Amino acid sequence: MPERVRQLLPSVLSVLLALGVCWVLIALTLEPGTATDAYLQMLWGGIGNWPAYLDGAAATVITRPLGESAMKAALLTLTGLSVAVAFKVGLFNIGAQGQMLLGALAAAVVGAQVSLPGALHVPAALLGAALAGAAWAGIAGLLRIYRGVHEVISTIMLNWVALSLVDNWLVVGPLRGAAEGGQSITGTAEIQATAVLPRLLGEGSRLNLGFPLALVAALAVWVWLTRTRSGFETRAVGLGAEAARAAGIPVARRMGLAMALAGAMAGLAGAVLVLGTEGRYPGTLGAPYGFDGIAIALIGNNHPLGATVSALFFGVLRAGGTRMQLLGVHKSFPELIQGLALLFVAGRMVWLAVLRRRSVAPAASAEVPRA
Amino acid sequence: MLEVIHSLLFSTLDAAPALIFAALGAVLSERAGVIAVGMEGMMRVGAFCAAVAALTMPTPLAVVMGMLAGAALAGVHGFLSIRWRSDQVVSGIALNLVALAGGTFLLESLYGPNGTPPIQQLTRWNLPGLSAVPVLGALSGHSAPTYLALLLPFAFQGLLTRTPLGLRLRAVGDKPQAVATLGLSVSALRWGAVLGSGLLAGLGGAVLSTAVLDRFEQHTPAGLGFMALAAMVFGRWTPVGAFLAATFFAFGNALRIGLVSSAPGLVELIPQGVLLALPYLLTLGVLTLQGQRSSAPAALGTPYEQESR
Repeated sequence: MPERVRQLLPSVLSVLLALGVCWVLIALTLEPGTATDAYLQMLWGGIGNWPAYLDGAAATVITRPLGESAMKAALLTLTGLSVAVAFKVGLFNIGAQGQMLLGALAAAVVGAQVSLPGALHVPAALLGAALAGAAWAGIAGLLRIYRGVHEVISTIMLNWVALSLVDNWLVVGPLRGAAEGGQSITGTAEIQATAVLPRLLGEGSRLNLGFPLALVAALAVWVWLTRTRSGFETRAVGLGAEAARAAGIPVARRMGLAMALAGAMAGLAGAVLVLGTEGRYPGTLGAPYGFDGIAIALIGNNHPLGATVSALFFGVLRAGGTRMQLLGVHKSFPELIQGLALLFVAGRMVWLAVLRRRSVAPAASAEVPRA
Repeated sequence: MLEVIHSLLFSTLDAAPALIFAALGAVLSERAGVIAVGMEGMMRVGAFCAAVAALTMPTPLAVVMGMLAGAALAGVHGFLSIRWRSDQVVSGIALNLVALAGGTFLLESLYGPNGTPPIQQLTRWNLPGLSAVPVLGALSGHSAPTYLALLLPFAFQGLLTRTPLGLRLRAVGDKPQAVATLGLSVSALRWGAVLGSGLLAGLGGAVLSTAVLDRFEQHTPAGLGFMALAAMVFGRWTPVGAFLAATFFAFGNALRIGLVSSAPGLVELIPQGVLLALPYLLTLGVLTLQGQRSSAPAALGTPYEQESR
């Protein structure tokens, strides 16, 4: 079996196994027929109801679900990239959630309180979000480099600090939006029209510029890691910091920059959420896309493009998940599939052992006739 | 004034046990060299199973069910990280995600979004004579886990520092090769520690739904499992240290809730969010000061391979 396939197979098999286990779970708690229907609904809710469209329904039965999927996939891609980039330099970024919160807040502030012409406002808000996320991740990076504090613990702590400070103080206190038309609002003030990420498929679909932006980011990270000197050095540090140091690579600088880039990606995810769909920093950010990023990156084998593929897949499932509610299956179900898939990916060694046994057996029997 | 102290102490003693048990579980697992990021998930499973079990059986037995459920999840963690040498952080995070989504799914499909039906809470014990004493009277009127939470850390500390088993547990987290050289099984010791941490985390979760509340709620344990990690680090990976840190965090929380209701002016001055962030900021501060001399077990997170000796 070629090496590349052997690398990919555990992830693919894990996702399939998770889909199977979850099907059984619905079949047991509801009915077997419902399980299959629910999966179909999830598919149509994710990629668009093509049968209905071919029967003559309006194009929105396609564009609306696709917009939802793309929106979720964009966020998952960016947080997945955040985790994957840190992984490449040998750091485990559990903190994408906190970095995303800070990025979302920065985007909301720049989007609402700074006035700029249209062509500059969106880039400025994106830049602010990226910098905020990078700074928050940078704290963990500096603690690791200069004080030897393990990044898993520090980023977990930073997540809760971010959540407490942003959701429980800034957004309900100093940065809370003024009442509009006599009604008090939750969250920050609404961003100006110039800061909104333009929608690409008309008003019926929430597909916005954030989606191509996420894809470009993934491509850029991939090119950086594989085609540039600093990207190569980053990977070298991840493979063995001591060897990299001996080879003259500035280990501390590579770690710090990779961590900052990871934070910037998560920060951008926050910006895409605020500028693309929410229009403000809402009372609470809702789904923990930052934590999902861990699953996305690992299922994607910590490869920027692998993470993108897994984000697209789970974006479709997550968007389709809302349709499953029609059949009495809770909309968090795709998250269960995702969690189980990650659990099975964690058992990568088990998969490799099983696959090795499979691939060794035929090879051995092939040798017998020759002898 | 005395009444204020009394009620603060009382609510601290009511809320702290869940955090204390989880923190002790985290210490047990990490001292044996296995990272305990999965505490949150194990607590959630323990809380859910205890609440469901209590619908059909006596509550104390249901608490045991919750503990076993926590241990079962820890068993998965052990299987992946000890038997198959998987990344311990990945495995722990995966268990958290599964417990979070799985708990929501099962709750919604079996009981609806508002949590399980109410159950019989654990009996509260009135210590005769003590209840009349000012301030100290706050020790009376809690359920059994509270008293266990006050004793267990010291017993655990004794076990860890004064017994051969404790020495082996510590050694397996610092230098597993040395333990293996003595002919002891590294994986058996780690399995024991991981399953024990699952029992403790399950107990912490079960306490939440049988003593603190009277049901399993959608968001249980709402980050307590991560705060247990903070308590473990803050307490420098020792049982008594983790106990003190957990109690301190619980006290801080009781104080915050008390202040919000009794002195809203003060909360204007120091925003709630800042107070909420305080335990985590303190933990970060301790880590920053300790730096590389951190008290973390030396072989933490490193899977043991026989050949590496």
